[in-house]
Amino acid sequence: MEMPQYDPNTKPEFELYTIPSHSSWFRWDDIHETERTALKEFFDGSSISRTPKIYKEYRDFMINKYREEPSRRLTFTQVRKSLVGDVSLLHKVFRFLDEWGLINFGAVSRGDDSDNRDSSLGDTELKNQVKIEEGAPNGVRVVALPNSLKPISVPNSGADGSGNGKVAVAGETGVKLPPLASYSDVFGDLVKLKGFKCGSCGEQCNSGCYEYSKQGSFVICEKCFKNGNYGEDKSKDDFRFSDLGGNSLTHGATWTEAETLLLLESVMRHGDNWELVAQNVPTKSKLDCISKLIELPFGEFMMGSAHEMNSCPTGSLNSLKEGQSASSENQNDVKMEDQVHDQMNESKQNGDAATEEPPAKRKRIAPLSDGGSTLIKQVGGLDSVLDNLEHYQTFLLMDCSDASFEVAHISTMVGPHVTAAAAEAAVAALCNESSCPREIFDGDEDYLANGLSSPTMVSDPERALQVDASKMEENQSETQDASSEKNDVPLNLRIRTATATALGAAAANAKLLADQEDREIEHLVAIIIETQMKKLHSKINYFDDLELIMEKEYNEMMQLKECLVEERIDVLERALKTGVSKWRS
Amino acid sequence: KFRMPTADNLVPIRLDIETEGQRYKDAFTWNPSDPDSEVVVFAKRTVRDLKLPPQFITQIAQSIQTQLTEFRSYEGQDMYTAEKIVPIKLDLRVNHTLIKDHFLWDLNNYESDPEEFARTFCNDMGIEDPEVGPAVAFAIREQLYEIAIQSVASAREIKISKKGRRGAEHAISSKGGGNALDLMKLFRYNSSVVRKRKEWYVYEPIVDILSNEEVDALEAREDRNTR
Repeated sequence: MEMPQYDPNTKPEFELYTIPSHSSWFRWDDIHETERTALKEFFDGSSISRTPKIYKEYRDFMINKYREEPSRRLTFTQVRKSLVGDVSLLHKVFRFLDEWGLINFGAVSRGDDSDNRDSSLGDTELKNQVKIEEGAPNGVRVVALPNSLKPISVPNSGADGSGNGKVAVAGETGVKLPPLASYSDVFGDLVKLKGFKCGSCGEQCNSGCYEYSKQGSFVICEKCFKNGNYGEDKSKDDFRFSDLGGNSLTHGATWTEAETLLLLESVMRHGDNWELVAQNVPTKSKLDCISKLIELPFGEFMMGSAHEMNSCPTGSLNSLKEGQSASSENQNDVKMEDQVHDQMNESKQNGDAATEEPPAKRKRIAPLSDGGSTLIKQVGGLDSVLDNLEHYQTFLLMDCSDASFEVAHISTMVGPHVTAAAAEAAVAALCNESSCPREIFDGDEDYLANGLSSPTMVSDPERALQVDASKMEENQSETQDASSEKNDVPLNLRIRTATATALGAAAANAKLLADQEDREIEHLVAIIIETQMKKLHSKINYFDDLELIMEKEYNEMMQLKECLVEERIDVLERALKTGVSKWRS
Repeated sequence: KFRMPTADNLVPIRLDIETEGQRYKDAFTWNPSDPDSEVVVFAKRTVRDLKLPPQFITQIAQSIQTQLTEFRSYEGQDMYTAEKIVPIKLDLRVNHTLIKDHFLWDLNNYESDPEEFARTFCNDMGIEDPEVGPAVAFAIREQLYEIAIQSVASAREIKISKKGRRGAEHAISSKGGGNALDLMKLFRYNSSVVRKRKEWYVYEPIVDILSNEEVDALEAREDRNTR
């Protein structure tokens, strides 16, 4: 606290600096115990470069430096240039003062996570500007300031952007700098793309829009949705809410479903080869692809499993689903079973099941999505995009992954024994129909049997799935080279293989769940027995206590009895002495 | 005993390999307690990720192995562990960022962490390029490593020249001089540890963002120098 010369005529003016109340021990003239214990190196006399005097100098300098400008955040780099000494030690002192609020207490707080620097810069900017502009919605501000949120791959503009951001933060509140001339807006067109136009009223939807789930391209803004202008022939339930506000803050702006689909496809095809993946997804850079893939709930598993030689997301998805599995929803039991059987019948009866299967599968997806998994929703959304794209290859690919999604979901919803039975029945039925697919299924059956019969080998089902998946991939690659005439028949087989795999996976998963339940039951029974024992113990203790009390009472009674007898003898003696001739007994 | 005078005992490894017209330059830290089988795995993965021709695998692995062996050869020996505060200078270029800095480091502080320093540095200076931090930490480590090696050598000299007080004194003064600062002078009673303002610029970090042309020019000059 700086004190001016004491002038008897005027009141002395103190400059007040706030420090938190838990730091009230601090004194300029003294070094407190807290400091001594936290920064022992200065006080144990181990070196002439670390003495209390030196510590005090460091501390005073840092605090004074901060107080020159209390609103700006003092950085370590600013102080260390002015102090002689080991930088690690200086950093320790700096951190000590920072933690106790003796410096940087009133300063603009920065995001702690240095990884999210961009977003934290954005946040402080937003914070500052909220104070001035009074609450403009997020979406507008973000779109208006594309500079500061550019991805790292354009370092020049990034630097400019950060320069922009920094200046805006460092006290020049309310001044929005114009974009610098050398800034090249590589992603300008994309940003424009991302701003959705409402289908019914024609305005820009900034913070959130409702997307029509049956046809991906129709979008209405929040206002229209509330007012009920859904557009012709569309009902309320068909719309899905997608929030734009959060998306823009991430690098590379939002990912449309088409792009996500492309990304997934190229990752499955190319695995770790990010150059090719980035090429296939034309509007996104390598970094964006990788970060988007990680963001997707199953993304990491895809990267890992694609790494291991071609195996589909099947195995990894199953493990994901196991982790996610909640209580089984039995209400859908019967419905699922019936649907499964129906699908099987359909595929058997129709020669070219190609066109029929996919719509059937999509129908299955719709009720499945009631389970509430975002994964399934994504698949559902991707499916609708598929319609628009009419991409044959990707169509087939998605079929297989559809199957696996459903499998995983079925196993969580249906009872384990039910799916096991369904699986066996379906596979048997399929095999009975023609001998050609039998070859494919033979291998599957063996693995199925393995999976079902060995309860403790958890790895087997996963391996079975992976083998099935790789077999499927092989089949696919074979058939993809075939001519168009041959495509019908192999397609049929392929689809059956896919469904058989799906059921196999369901069976294996069901077995795992059954084991889990057994173990749980054992555990619970053990707990019950324990509690019974405890009950008995406490009862026994209670009775022991009672006995003790009774004994004591008994002793007391005996004593009383003795007393009484004595008194009686007394009385009789006296009576005899006084010569009472007759007495009553 | 010899070890890197930092919290983590990590070895700085520098690679500069040229084969068939392709040049691979890299610098990173390695944990010497990792099994050596990891070296080949790392080399293979690097070659695959960067799409280098396969001849690089053996060369990379060899280079890493050599540097590791060199590090390990120092490991059994004694290091002079008296207090030494050494100046560390940074003068490096990472992609578009040019960094010049100068600060003091306590060699005896085994809790020091170059990575933490690099992180603070990047945060405070607002550096967005994620490759700068590790490069700074690496540069610090490299210099510490060199100084550590020197101190091993000087420890050896002390042992050899322990022929009497004069020899020992001479040795002490020789290792005191050179890099390390004279602590007696700096941390005296009547001197302050706060530097004079006119000296602040010496110890202030300078971070420059270069344009593409400047980068190309610098790279060309570096290539010319190394050839």
